[in-house]
Amino acid sequence: MGGQMHIPNLDQACAVVMHPVPDHAAALMRQLTAIGLTVSHAWPDLPSSAISADFIFYDTDMGHDDQFPWEPGCAPMPMIALVGSEAPGRIEWAARMGADALLLKPVGSGGAFSALLMAHHSFELRRSLNAEIKQLHHRMSARQTVVQAVALLSAQGKSQDAAYDQLRQMAMAWRINVEDAAARIVENANNEGSLRDSN
Amino acid sequence: MLYSSTGTYAAISRAVLRGTLAGIDEVNADANSPIGFRPVVRDPGGEIDRYAPLCDDILANSGARHIFGCVTSSSRKEVIPTLDRTNAMLWYNLPFEGFETSNRVIYNHACANQHLLPLLSWCFGSFGAKPYLIGSNYIWGWETCRVARMRTEEANGQVLGERYLPLGEENIATLIAEIESLRPDFILNSLVGASSYAFLRAYAELGRRDPHFSCDSCPVVSCNLTEAELPLLGEAAEGLVSVGPHFCPQACPEGRDSSFEIISRQSVHTLASMLAVQGDRPFEKFIAERGAGFGIDPATHHSTLSVNVAQVRRGVFEVLHHWADVPPDPYLTRPKRHPGISRPRLSVVS
Repeated sequence: MGGQMHIPNLDQACAVVMHPVPDHAAALMRQLTAIGLTVSHAWPDLPSSAISADFIFYDTDMGHDDQFPWEPGCAPMPMIALVGSEAPGRIEWAARMGADALLLKPVGSGGAFSALLMAHHSFELRRSLNAEIKQLHHRMSARQTVVQAVALLSAQGKSQDAAYDQLRQMAMAWRINVEDAAARIVENANNEGSLRDSN
Repeated sequence: MLYSSTGTYAAISRAVLRGTLAGIDEVNADANSPIGFRPVVRDPGGEIDRYAPLCDDILANSGARHIFGCVTSSSRKEVIPTLDRTNAMLWYNLPFEGFETSNRVIYNHACANQHLLPLLSWCFGSFGAKPYLIGSNYIWGWETCRVARMRTEEANGQVLGERYLPLGEENIATLIAEIESLRPDFILNSLVGASSYAFLRAYAELGRRDPHFSCDSCPVVSCNLTEAELPLLGEAAEGLVSVGPHFCPQACPEGRDSSFEIISRQSVHTLASMLAVQGDRPFEKFIAERGAGFGIDPATHHSTLSVNVAQVRRGVFEVLHHWADVPPDPYLTRPKRHPGISRPRLSVVS
């Protein structure tokens, strides 16, 4: 995610506004319609169709965990908190639910578009960082396996450098990454007590 | 009326003011119209901090509920809080960058999908995708250049330069020197008023020195140039490219009949016919229910408009490309509403 903020295509996008008083959410729903979204209202619970929504706006004054069908912080779409009371407890709850942006109540004739852009940006950034972290965790936990695999290969009389080079070439030949290739070598060695297949 | 008849963009203000007053005269002269208007005129003199107090003054002391006013987006944003507080309406009749749909404003002229996007699409197809971007140093210039930069990158082009001048600045020698050495495919000009006139005269001079900078190989294109400013530019206007919902097909004395003027005149008629049937409903509610019947999209308060790309030839705008009925997309979130030019795909044959 670079510095440029790209405007997402919102032509077919859906937003659900969770607010106890539909009339009070009218200005927000008008803004969202002007931006091009299809908008529906929900209270207190999210209907099951909301799982495919692109954005959720949720009231923080009256909101609670049970309204959502997912664990706090695990929403599969960007979430925008509608903040009335700025009591720290409510902000804390908004954050725990995974707010990607905030919009202060009462909502007038502006604010929704910046909230959408900010939420979209934060959500995508979080998603790509999470994916990267997961991948790095996997690679870190595979370190020991790589060391084992190099040790197994160098046990055949190669230097460590040559053994690592061989591991890389095997990964390329098998079209998998080095960590997965190492896991395969270690597994083979454990199963068969030898490295028959390694050449 | 809240327009600055003095200041750097006075020619534009005079065009919208002239159109609005002509509309008022026509409505008042129409024996069949149950509505008559009495204009109340205030002049902020081009000073940004005078708009909100004068808007307050009109609403508090005259009983007016509808204001025809503001040329720049900055001035419009200044008066919106007053309009919100007093439930009055602003009729804004100039092209703008979009990203705003206030319930208290009717946006009668074009937003970016009705001016900038089609203009860029036409330029990329006709001249190439290496523009040089210049603008006045406020939101119109910034946002126009930002969108142009994104579109250029999407078209695999390259922005060769991007410069902003303070409103009213007329020292443009450095700018011209940079353009001369970078040799772009075209120049997107979002300067307003005196800066724009100074730049266009200097660029015409550059074109006489170096044929690359002629309107056939490297034109200056703009989303905010109309007939209203042609008399001020004289010969330097020749070859300039603009985009708008309407261009006057013949030479007009004093730059009359620009889209600014015509849309302003029409908007007064629209207001008169709306007031005639509004009844007791609040005006914004009336727009939500009946706006579409008067050409105002209830969701965005914008209008569906024609889009024309036109070039000044012998003092008259000649339309080079036309799109009919482009619905507004003020937030640029609906690509289906972005008119483009389909070009044959070129491939390299070795």
